[in-house]
Amino acid sequence: MTRILDFSNVELYYDHVHALRGVSIHVEQGETVALIGANGAGKSSILRAITGIRPITSGEINYNGKRINGMKACDIVPLGLSMVPEGRRVFPFMSVRDNLMMGAFTRHSKKEIRETLDMVLGRFPRLKERYHQPAGTMSGGEQQMLVIGRALMSRPKMLLLDEPSLGIAPKLIQDIARSIVAINRDEKVSVLLVEQNSRMALKISHRAYALTTGTIALSGKSADLAKDERVQKLYLGGEV
Amino acid sequence: MKVKPHTESGLKTWVGLAALVLAMGLFYFGIPALIAQNPEVYSRYYTTLSGIALLSMASAGVWLTFYIGRINIGQGVFCLFGAYISGILVVNYGMNFWYSAIWAGVICSLLSFLIGLPILRLRGVYFAMVTLISTQVATLVVQNLAITKQGRSFALPPPAALTLPGTDIVVIPAFTLEGAAVGFYFAAITLMILTFLGLYRLVNSRIGQLCKSLQQNEELASSLGVNIVWLRLVAYAISCFVGGVAGAFYGAQQANLNVSLFTVQDSVNFLLYCFMGGLNYVVGPLIGTITLRLGWDQLSPTGEYQLAIYALALIILMFILPNGLMSLVEEGKKWFIRPNHRQKLQSMSAQKPVKTVAKSAAKKRPKTAAKTAPKSNKGRK
Amino acid sequence: MEQVIANGLFTGAQYALIALGLTLIFGLMNVLNFAHGQMFVLGALFAYTIFNHIVELGWFLGMTPWLANILTFMVALVATLVFLAFVGALFERFLFRTVIKRSSRDESTMLLAAATAFLLDALLPMKHVFGELSHSLPALIEGSFSIEQPWFSDTPFYMPYSKVFIGGLALFLIAGFMAFMQYTKPGRAMRALAQDKIAAQLMGVHVDRFTMLGFALGAMLAGGIGALIVTITNIGPTAGSSFSIKAFIMVMIGGAGVVGGAIAGGFVLGMMESIVPTLLAPYDLANLSDLIIFAALMIFLSFRPQGLMGKPWG
Repeated sequence: MTRILDFSNVELYYDHVHALRGVSIHVEQGETVALIGANGAGKSSILRAITGIRPITSGEINYNGKRINGMKACDIVPLGLSMVPEGRRVFPFMSVRDNLMMGAFTRHSKKEIRETLDMVLGRFPRLKERYHQPAGTMSGGEQQMLVIGRALMSRPKMLLLDEPSLGIAPKLIQDIARSIVAINRDEKVSVLLVEQNSRMALKISHRAYALTTGTIALSGKSADLAKDERVQKLYLGGEV
Repeated sequence: MKVKPHTESGLKTWVGLAALVLAMGLFYFGIPALIAQNPEVYSRYYTTLSGIALLSMASAGVWLTFYIGRINIGQGVFCLFGAYISGILVVNYGMNFWYSAIWAGVICSLLSFLIGLPILRLRGVYFAMVTLISTQVATLVVQNLAITKQGRSFALPPPAALTLPGTDIVVIPAFTLEGAAVGFYFAAITLMILTFLGLYRLVNSRIGQLCKSLQQNEELASSLGVNIVWLRLVAYAISCFVGGVAGAFYGAQQANLNVSLFTVQDSVNFLLYCFMGGLNYVVGPLIGTITLRLGWDQLSPTGEYQLAIYALALIILMFILPNGLMSLVEEGKKWFIRPNHRQKLQSMSAQKPVKTVAKSAAKKRPKTAAKTAPKSNKGRK
Repeated sequence: MEQVIANGLFTGAQYALIALGLTLIFGLMNVLNFAHGQMFVLGALFAYTIFNHIVELGWFLGMTPWLANILTFMVALVATLVFLAFVGALFERFLFRTVIKRSSRDESTMLLAAATAFLLDALLPMKHVFGELSHSLPALIEGSFSIEQPWFSDTPFYMPYSKVFIGGLALFLIAGFMAFMQYTKPGRAMRALAQDKIAAQLMGVHVDRFTMLGFALGAMLAGGIGALIVTITNIGPTAGSSFSIKAFIMVMIGGAGVVGGAIAGGFVLGMMESIVPTLLAPYDLANLSDLIIFAALMIFLSFRPQGLMGKPWG
C-alpha cells in the first residue's frame, strides 16, 4: 500500500491560538481513517490545513507524493482531493442538480460527468427525488447526502469528511455511515473522517487518531481503539 | 490575546489629557495667533476651520452609529433638518439662535426616534441603504415645503446676543457681520471639543461597553439581558441630536440656507471621514474630517482637477492605510509591543517537535503517547 | 393607461439592467459599488462617441439611414460592452482586490467605491474626456407605432420605433444575462460564490478569477444600458450618482444580491415612476411623486428589509 496523504509535523495558528502543535498523521491508499476528539481539539483544523483554507505555520503536507501545503484551495481539488465541509454548506439557493454540477466544476468531459452523476444519484436516490428543488429547502440529512454526492462529483481519490453526523437525525446517521463505507469500498476512495460521534467513526474506519488540544493523544487500529479503556472513557461516553 | 503592559491604561489617560490640553491650546490660542500674523490672507481659515469643526461633529454622530454596528449614510438628513429648524425658528418665530440650535437638536432626536424604531432593526447594507434613501427623501421634502421656501435661498440674520434668562447679563454677545466668522469659529470648536469629550465619556461608560457588545454580537447581547432596542434608539438619538446642532450652526454660519447645504454627497462624506480617521478611535472622525476637508480646501486652486486629485488621494490613502489614519497609532503600538510578543511565540514553538511521538507507538498499545504533552501546553497558556 | 404601462415597462427594463449589474457585484464581493452610476454614464458617453465617429462610414457606404444607424449603434454597443468589461476588470483587479485583502473591515470597500465614483465624476466632464455637455443620439429609427383608439383610455397610444427597438434590446440583454447565470458553468460558479465562498473554493472555483469576471460583467451591464439609454434621453457626464442611488433602491426593493430581485426591483421602480405622477396629476401634486415614491420605499424597506425576494440577513 502507498501513502496517499502524509501530514507531518504541522503547526497551525488561528491568530494567537495554537490549534495544531506538531501533528503528524497519514492515510494509506484505500483506507478509511478517523480523527476523533473533543470540540476544539484540532480535528477540523487538520482538514482546513489539508484543503488549503487555513495556511499552516510549519510542517509539510504531501498528497500522492506532491507537496500541497501553500497551494490554494481551488488548486487542490483538481488533484483528486475533495472536502465535505462542516455544517454541510450546500449552495442553498441552487437546485440539487446545480449543486451537484458545481461538484464537477473542475472536470470537463460532459460524458464522464454524466456517468458520475448517475453513480451519485444511484447511491443517493433521495437526491433524485429532489433534483430540481433548491438545496436550502431540504432536511439536514438530505443536505448531508447532497454534499457528499457533490464531493464525489469531482471523482476524488480521497474524500475528507468534516463532522458528517452533526445535527442529523439518528436514523439518517446510519444511512450516511453506510454510504461512507460503501464509497470507500466501491469507489476505491480513501477517506479521512472527522467525527465527534466517535462510536460511529471507530466502527466504519480502519484506523483512527484521537486528538487532544492540538496533539495526537492516541492512534491505532479502530477496532483496538474502540476496546481501549481510555478511549471508552474519554470518547465513547463510558462510565467515568 | 493582546499583550498589555500594566501601565498602559494609566499611560493612556495621561497621553490623552496631554493631547487634549495641547489641542485646546492650539484651537483657542495657537490658530487665532497664527491667523493674526496676516489677517488679510489667513482670516478665511476661520470659516474653513469652523466648517470642519461642525462637520466633524456630525461625523462623530455617524461614528456613534457605527459603534452600535450600523452604517449610517443618513446624517445629512439631520444636518439639513437641523439647519432648517433653527432657521425657521429664528426667522419665522423670532427665537434666539442659541436656543433654536438646541431645539434643532431636540427635534432631530425626536424625529430619530420615529425613524429609528422601524429602521434600526435593519442591519448591514440594508440600514445603510435606507439611510441613504432617507437623505434623498429629506432633500425632496425641503424642496416641496413652503416653509423652507422650496429649498431656495433662505437668508438668516447673524445670531443675536444670548443673555441669562430673566436678566440682562450677556453670556454671548451678538455677532456682528464682520465678527461672525471669528465668533462662529470659537462656538464651533467649543461645540466640537464638547462633542468629542462627551463621546469619549459615553464610549468609556457602561452604556458604551454595551454598545460595543452590540457591535460584536447582537443576539448575544440581547440574551445577556441588554435592552438592545432601547440602547440602539438612544445611541441613534444622540447621533441625530449632534447632527441637528451641527447642522444648525453650519447653516447659521453660511447665513443662507438652501437645499444643497447637505445632500446625499455629504451623507457619504461623513461616512468617509469616519472611515478615513479610523473606526476604532473616538477621535477618528475628527482626524478624518480635518484631513479630508482641509485637504479638499487646499486643493481648490487646482480648479477643475480638484475632485480628481482628491479622489486619487483618497484611493492612494486606502491603499496605504486601508484601516484609517488612526491605524498608524495601532502600528506604532504593535511596534513597541512586538519584540515581547515575538519572543513568546518563539518560546512556544521551540518546544513543539519534541512531542510528536504519537504515531510511532501506534499499533498495539495506543495509550503510550497520551500523557504529558497536552497538559504541559495547557499549563503554559 | 396603456401609454403609462408601456412607458413603465420600458423604463423598468432599463432599470432592471442597471440593478442587475449592481446586485451581481454586491452578491459576489459584498461591495456596494457607489460608482455604478458612473459606469453607466461612462458607457453612455463612450457609445455616443463611438457612434459619432463611425456613423458616417455607413452613410458613405450608401446604406439607408435607419440601417446605417442601427448597424453603427450595434457596433458602438458591442464596443461599449467590451470597454466597460475591461474597465470593470481593471477596477476589481487593481483597486478592490487589494483593498479587500489589506483591510480589516468589509466596509472599507465602501470608501474605495465612493472614491472611484468621485474620480469618475471628476474625469468624465474634463475637456479631453467627454466635456461638460450632455449628449444624446438621434432617434435610430424614424416614426412611431401608434393606436388611435386604445382600449382603456381616450388619448392615443404612441411608441416611437426606436424605443421599441431599444426596449427589445434591453429585454434581450436581460434574458441573455439570466441564461448565462443559470445555464453556463461560469454563471453557476458565480452563483455558488455568492452563496458560499468557502464551499465554492472547495469545488475548485478560483475566487479571484470569478470575482473579477463578476465585476467586469456588472460594469458591462451598466455600460450597456448606458449605451441604450443615450439613444433616448440626454445623459450628462455628472449624472452618475443619481443613477447610483436609483440602482441602490431597485436592488433593495428586490433584495440585495438576488438576481431575480434586481429585475423585479427595476420593473417596480420603473412602473412607479410612470404611474405615480399620472395618478397625482389630477390633484396637481405630480411634483411630489418622487418624494412619495422614495418615502413609500423607505417604509416598505423598514418593514420588509429583505425586499421582495431577498434573504433576510445583515
